[in-house]
Amino acid sequence: MENNSRRTFLGLCLGGLAVGAAASATYPLYRYLAPRQADTNAGKVVIPEKDVPLGEAKFFEFAGAAAVLVRTTKGELIALSAVCTHLGCIVQWEKDKQSFLCPCHAGYYTAEGTVISGPPPRPLPKLPVSVADGSITIG
Amino acid sequence: MLAWFFSGAFLIGVVLFQPIPAVSAETTDTVCYECHGNMPGTLGEPVKLWRSSIHAENGISCHSCHGGDSKDMANAMSRDRGFLGVPKEKDIPAFCGRCHVGVLKDFKASAHGRALGKGGPTCVSCHGNHHVLKASLELINEKSCSRCHSYDRAKVIKTAMQDTEKLIVDIEGRIAAYKKIGADIDRLEKGLFAVRNHFHSLFHNVDVEKVKKEASQIQSDLKKLEETLAKMDRTQQRRKIAGVVTVAVALLAALLFHLLGKTFKHEKDV
Repeated sequence: MENNSRRTFLGLCLGGLAVGAAASATYPLYRYLAPRQADTNAGKVVIPEKDVPLGEAKFFEFAGAAAVLVRTTKGELIALSAVCTHLGCIVQWEKDKQSFLCPCHAGYYTAEGTVISGPPPRPLPKLPVSVADGSITIG
Repeated sequence: MLAWFFSGAFLIGVVLFQPIPAVSAETTDTVCYECHGNMPGTLGEPVKLWRSSIHAENGISCHSCHGGDSKDMANAMSRDRGFLGVPKEKDIPAFCGRCHVGVLKDFKASAHGRALGKGGPTCVSCHGNHHVLKASLELINEKSCSRCHSYDRAKVIKTAMQDTEKLIVDIEGRIAAYKKIGADIDRLEKGLFAVRNHFHSLFHNVDVEKVKKEASQIQSDLKKLEETLAKMDRTQQRRKIAGVVTVAVALLAALLFHLLGKTFKHEKDV
């Protein structure tokens, strides 16, 4: 009798531990698989169209990193990460050449972000751009 | 069987704990290195100096600066293959500035740059030529600056930059510690490189007021990196606690199983 009640108690304790262990193992898996909470404001930057004349570039912060919006001489709007893919310096816009230059190790990119020369291993990542009612939205 | 086990373990140990070479084989696999590496005197000295340079550490080899064909011994130093040789003193900033374009711009605008060709310093005066030194505050010191002028002004600049440099070194150490344990620190590393580069560009601008003004902006950028690291520290701390709790729970479960087993044994004995 005494053994039975002891076993029940110990069984309950072990069951509780097993449930706790299963929950601790499942929760990180759930967090990994569950879609991230959509924040409608995060990752969106609005810039007035007049702020980016033909052939000019405007630098801004996007999702915690430097980004740039270019209006090419043909009028095309391109938004790119301004972080050089080599070692992470911030690229500079060279208006006369209509290209980007990384001042750290002379990495050159086209206005579209394609590598022209230098050590960058990849193009500058593109960011989505849309234009409506005189405003440019990036992200 | 045991011998196989030990030899296997030894081999794994050798592979895992092999020291990482300071100079990669790719960097030394050039005809420049083949010849000059064994030469005595001034022709071999640059190779010895280069081996412990920041260039060697980052895979920048002889031909990266001097041009030429690093794979063809007969034409390695041919002008047709882009060999540049040794630049004249006044051409040194432009020589280094082919890669370090931002620094060249800052240097040209500085008092040092304006004195180029008139007895002023070039890149190698402070950074060395083949034993190229990483840009750091250590380069600003009385012994070095006093070769050309008084150390007073340089000391003021160095003092203004000291706090920021300390912060950079501290963040660099923390990132390196995370790198060791395999954490994803690519963004942090690149962020720090960009800020450090901006900060080090001030080294060439010998304007005290500008240095003070820019240093505060740089410090705020560094604070952002510190915040990310603090967040990572908190996660790491939580993981450690979770680890301790897991071990404690496992021990408790073992104890409970043991006690449960004893109840059956006790019944059998009775």
